Amino acid sequence: MTKLKLSMITGALLASSAAFAQVTAITGVTVHTATEQGTLNNATVLIEDGKIKAINPENVTANETINANGLVLTPGFIGSMNQLGLVEVGAVANSRDASDEKAGLDFDPSYAFNARSSLIPYARKGGITQSVVSPVNYDGAYQGLAFTANLSGEFDSVTDKHTAFVIYLGAKSKGSRALSFQQFIEKLEGQKAKLAKKDDKKDDKKDADKPSGEERVLTQLLNGEMPVVISASRAADIVQIIKLKAEYGLDIIISGAADAVLLADELAKAEIPVIVSAVSNLPSDFDAMHATLENASKLEKAGVKVLLTIAGDSSHNLYQLRFDAGIAVSNGMSYNSAIKAVTSNVADAFAIDGGKIAVGQPADLVLWSADPFELSTTVEKMWINGEEVTTESRHDKLRERYTTDSELPRAYTK
Amino acid sequence: MQKFAPSILVLALSAALAGCQDKGPQKDKVNIDKNPYPSTYKAMPATATLITNATVLTGTGERLDSADVYIVDGKISQIGVDLNVQADTTVDAQGKWVTPGIIDVHSHLGAYPSPAVESHQDGNEMVSPNTAQVWVEHSVWPQDPGFNRAREGGITTLQILPGSANLFGGRSVTLKNVPAHTMQGMKFPDAPYGLKMACGENPKRVYGAKGVAPYTRMGNMAGYRQAWIEATEYKRAWERYEQEYAAGMNPDAPKRDIRLDTLRGVLDGEILIHNHCYKAEEMAMMIDLGKEFNYHSGTFHHGIEAYKVADLLAENGNCAALWPDWWGFKMEAYDMVQENVAIVDAVKNSCAVVHSDSDTTIQRLNQEAGKVMYTANQKGFNLKEQDAIKWITYNAAKSLGVADKTGSLEQGKQADVVIWDKNPFSVYAKAEHVYIDGAKVYDRKDEKYQAVSDFMLGQR
Repeated sequence: MTKLKLSMITGALLASSAAFAQVTAITGVTVHTATEQGTLNNATVLIEDGKIKAINPENVTANETINANGLVLTPGFIGSMNQLGLVEVGAVANSRDASDEKAGLDFDPSYAFNARSSLIPYARKGGITQSVVSPVNYDGAYQGLAFTANLSGEFDSVTDKHTAFVIYLGAKSKGSRALSFQQFIEKLEGQKAKLAKKDDKKDDKKDADKPSGEERVLTQLLNGEMPVVISASRAADIVQIIKLKAEYGLDIIISGAADAVLLADELAKAEIPVIVSAVSNLPSDFDAMHATLENASKLEKAGVKVLLTIAGDSSHNLYQLRFDAGIAVSNGMSYNSAIKAVTSNVADAFAIDGGKIAVGQPADLVLWSADPFELSTTVEKMWINGEEVTTESRHDKLRERYTTDSELPRAYTK
Repeated sequence: MQKFAPSILVLALSAALAGCQDKGPQKDKVNIDKNPYPSTYKAMPATATLITNATVLTGTGERLDSADVYIVDGKISQIGVDLNVQADTTVDAQGKWVTPGIIDVHSHLGAYPSPAVESHQDGNEMVSPNTAQVWVEHSVWPQDPGFNRAREGGITTLQILPGSANLFGGRSVTLKNVPAHTMQGMKFPDAPYGLKMACGENPKRVYGAKGVAPYTRMGNMAGYRQAWIEATEYKRAWERYEQEYAAGMNPDAPKRDIRLDTLRGVLDGEILIHNHCYKAEEMAMMIDLGKEFNYHSGTFHHGIEAYKVADLLAENGNCAALWPDWWGFKMEAYDMVQENVAIVDAVKNSCAVVHSDSDTTIQRLNQEAGKVMYTANQKGFNLKEQDAIKWITYNAAKSLGVADKTGSLEQGKQADVVIWDKNPFSVYAKAEHVYIDGAKVYDRKDEKYQAVSDFMLGQR
């Protein structure tokens, strides 16, 4: 898996001087750019210093050339709204760090990100190169801050600590969602008033009280400096959320959005992206009476920016994202839109780098044996910031142990 | 346990007094009705149907190209190339694939239906570690919209199981996936009942947290063994009653206990075990538990570590019903390998099954099986479509004890059939037509054959 087929490697040592940076050329490849360029056939992509240096340059000068004839290159896929690196085993309490009952609105779980989690190499099997990781809070509205991490498995892989604020405004098993809306609006109003006051008295005291973490988050939201992911599904709630955007200028993304299809035109007009699962098609509650397999496609066709995410255990099952994209395509989504829904749309909605094959973008790339959404396709090779990464995980070691004959007990097969 | 003691006493007494009692006229014999909630299923209207020019996967390991499938009177009549037969309906399946109806051996549809509201949590009788007395069919809500979604994914037969909180969770029921407004209207005629058992973390967590047994895995084992001892005595008591009655004596019948009726059904070979069991060492012990008490240990569900004991499973005739890739949600699900199903399948006389345990993936078990096939082939296996289809058809039918009726396209079998628009192991594949007992129950292109649950009617 990690080793390239010999035929694919043609080591072309052109630059002998160490002064030149390492340049890798991928040639003859079908490129899904996830940009307005769409799909390029028989293309060449150059990687240098962790970035995409050129696409279809006139002259190719490279230290390493990968003849990728018949293969497919995409940006690395980007997960979102999972707890990657914040959970190892779901039911093992001390391996979970995505929630804390004492956490406030400004809860920052990035401190707990575990780059060595076994979930990370496993997710790479699905061509995932980065993820927007979200806290969870099953008891209240405020979840905290989502952060961005790449899937290199290196200790420095958190790339953006404050990617979005996450709030739940959907159905509650205790109490009313109205109170969640009301209290959030109160907080926004309060902070808005504080900021206005501060503006009036600009010249008074230089050092006003240092803002609290919560105040800083609210200020960023009001200034549109950080997106807010609102988790909600019912159409009536989405109407309220569209009003929130109009009233406070928040940069809103709606997650869940089961019944968003009833408001597709309104969401497109309000430029609110949605994060949906391509496979959620059951009325899981009265908020999701219109969930169908065609919803992602209908939203996309109405002009809504669609991001795909995994339903259920989105951390352990993150690798499945490419299959979900395939299911979206088989239910009407255009192929290029599905590519974007797992790459550039995620990057754009969260204002993070990556998700595109374009000059200057990070070289987060996946070379696939064929159509990346198809079950039979494999990752041939992948890079994060230009560094090649493996898709091998402990699952492979277990398989090898139990499929290798040995006279000794299995424990000796390592 | 306490309930049983008096009936033993009664028996002992009745035996002692037998000499007096056998003189009078015999009392009416006490008979237990084993089928008090019978199936009322009737096949939907069907015509003689000929499906032509398809790629046919029979479910028995064969693939036929450009083949025809002829369905008459709800049964598979003939399969072959260029059949010369008379049909009322001919379906041109050029470029399409035909498989047996898909079978999910592990579903909670109807018992944990959509919407998943409090009033609908009917799948797990979490009040005692042994609730062998409950029958999940009594919880099934036939209006669960999930049944319709599953049918659109080619599911024609499914087993509904109680949950896994208890050592003995209760009886399962096998359903034909037809729309009906009673559970009995879906009940698969003459399918055996199953008994849900559970190993490992769930029972000990649920009861341990309440400070009652089982608190540990050894407590789980003690709980099973104690129950089988009771069941063995119960069986013996009834058999003695039957024998004495047959001998013209006038014995008192043992006290009826519906919990023990179910366990006795297992000991009599009438009820099949369906055991939620993840770990290698636990599966090994559950096999021996069956031997200790003279019953077959049945099918292991969710066996994340089945690949570690693949030989043992095949030797003992156990099916293993598995996911392709779920893992990590609890400690006993940590050692997943994506090739689990393939490794189990590779052993001679094995019975590997792909199951869902999900209202979502039940809609695409074909893709779940496909994931295994392709991943395993990349690791050196040589699996073909005709092999992988068995995991969701024939082997599943075998696990449920209905392989003589459905699960393969063979002459005389129930015509449960799916026509796919392409190779069913593609992410883009869709079921176009679904037939149950020869009747078209779903047509992707004809709304007439697209059932809508009462619950979804008129929602806007």
